[in-house]
This record gives sequence, C-alpha cells and structure tokens, in this order.
Amino acid sequence: MKPMPRLWIDERYCKGCLICVEVCPTNAIASSNTINARGYVIPIEQDMGNCKVCSLCELMCPDFAIAIETNTTK
Amino acid sequence: MLKYLKEEGLMGARLPLLLCPGCGHGQVLNYTLNAVDRLIKEDKIAKEKFLFISGVGCSSRLTSHYLNFDSGWTMHGRAVAVATGALLANPEFRVVVFTGDGDVASIGGNHFIHACRRNMDLTIVCMNNGLYGMTGGQQAPTSPRDMITTTTPYGNTEEAFDLCQMAEVSGASYVARWTTAHPHQVIKAIMKGIRKKGTAFIEILSQCPVHRKEEPAEMLAAYKRITIPVAKAKEGDKEKILVGEFCDHDKPDWNASYQRVIDRYKSKDV
Repeated sequence: MKPMPRLWIDERYCKGCLICVEVCPTNAIASSNTINARGYVIPIEQDMGNCKVCSLCELMCPDFAIAIETNTTK
Repeated sequence: MLKYLKEEGLMGARLPLLLCPGCGHGQVLNYTLNAVDRLIKEDKIAKEKFLFISGVGCSSRLTSHYLNFDSGWTMHGRAVAVATGALLANPEFRVVVFTGDGDVASIGGNHFIHACRRNMDLTIVCMNNGLYGMTGGQQAPTSPRDMITTTTPYGNTEEAFDLCQMAEVSGASYVARWTTAHPHQVIKAIMKGIRKKGTAFIEILSQCPVHRKEEPAEMLAAYKRITIPVAKAKEGDKEKILVGEFCDHDKPDWNASYQRVIDRYKSKDV
C-alpha cells in the first residue's frame, strides 16, 4: 500500500489567508474551526488520501507555514 | 524542502514574516528561495556568491531581515545603484535586487533605466502590487487606470507604467513578467535571470489584499483570469495583461565590455 503523505502546518506562522485551500487541486486541505494564538483561522488536512504531492500548498504559502511530508523521502 | 528553507535560506528565528496575511511578497520570497536552491544544487554556485540588495518598502523588508544570505538594505530607490557598486567591486557575485514598484518605478526610476542601459549583470525582481503598501495604499506610478486607492478614491486618472517595456527598450538582456499565481514559471524565470549575463528584469504582479480589500485566494484566481501568455495573445486580447518572456538577448554585459578595454590596453604594451 502506498504510504499516505502527511501535512505539516506550523500554527505559529500561519496567518489564515487560506491560499493553500484554494490552490489544492484535490481538496486535501480544508478550513478548520481552530483559531491560533494570533486569532487566525488555520487550515486542516481533510482527505490526505487524495493528495498527489504536487506541493502547490507548500510552494504558494506566503508564510512558510505548510509542508508536505512523504514517508518515501526518509 | 521546507527544512532547507528554514535552516539554510531563512533566519528561522525571525519568522513569522511581518507582512499582512495573504501578501504576495511572501510567495515571491518562497519562489526565489526555491530558485536559488536549485541553482546551488544544479550549477554548483557557492552560497557565498549570492548577494541580495533591497531598498525601502514592503518587498524590501524581505532580504536583510529574513534571508540567511549576504544582503544589504539601502536607501529608498537606490537598491539598483548600490547593487551596481557591489557588482563592480565583486564581478563574480550573483547580485539579486529585491524591489517593489514604488522603489524601482518612481523614486529609483533613473537608476533602473541606466542599469538596464549599461547591461549590468543584475537580476532585478520587482514585486508590483500597483500601490504604496507600507505607507497606506496610496496611488503609485504602476496603478492601473480607474483603480481605487486611498489617494484616488474615485478612480485613478493616470496611465500605469509598463515596466517590462521600459526595461526592454532601455536595453535589458532578459525581461519577463509573471504573477504570484504562476509559481513554476516564476521559479524558472528567476533561475534564467540569475544565469543570464546582463540585466535580467522580472516583474511579478503581487496581490495586496489589505489595501485592495479583497480575498487573497480570489485575487490569485483573478490573476489567472486577467492575464494571457505572450505567445497566445491575439489582437482582440488588448484588455488582458500580457505575461511571459518579452525579450531574451545574448549581448555583452558591462563587465565583459570593461574586460575587453583592459585587454586592448594591455595588448598595446603602453
């Protein structure tokens, strides 16, 4: 079975612009109800089985707050 | 990748960035670090050979405050002038100028034109958001006609500068325009610009969601909608913004011309 990629979100850096949610082509990320210490709504992983590891969320995050980890790289 | 960015490219302890939520400048920093990382790996350029220079503005806060590279933070508009001096002293440096539209188009316009004319070996990354973001969203020379800003509340009456055309006619070697909604194209353009001998000017349209009062994700979608690549543009697409590579010349840069003068002088045995 293919290992599922894991989403890593740094709540300290996220500013809740939700660009990652919009650019994700497979809807693997969604907006959550969680609010971080700065008062921003942070994204959450929704269905990581769909994730194709295109890394658009990691590339287009303005605040370096999101990363995709795959088990194969370790 | 992100581990690299945090530990090698950025000063991780200084994060988060001071920019507003959804600002495109952070994305441009992300793309630039990706491009520089690929150059270090593919071309085996030493990390110490990169030099980042910036002026004053939102975009210019990025270099000296967050980058873990040699960098300089200079006066308003004088980023290109300082970069020229740094390049003359160290011709082997890969000098990247991080600048905004208020920096390079209004107050530093002459420095920019003459750097293009001399064809200095610089890579100018201009983040164009069409207004002065740091001072409160005033009208800039790059604001399009009819744009609402804090100083033009009923719409802008002036035409915007086309920075790419200005760089092209001034004599830059490589001119390209992309938006923050085109990540891979921006990375390729910056890599090509740093490899290029001579001035490479890369204009990146960047969103300012706070002063435009729009959602960042919607602005990114709008950038995809209102732009059209140069290769596909037809006569009827005059309302859309052209993106892509505008020119890509191979001509001698300033250092090469100067070396030729030195060689000619030495060969005469005076």
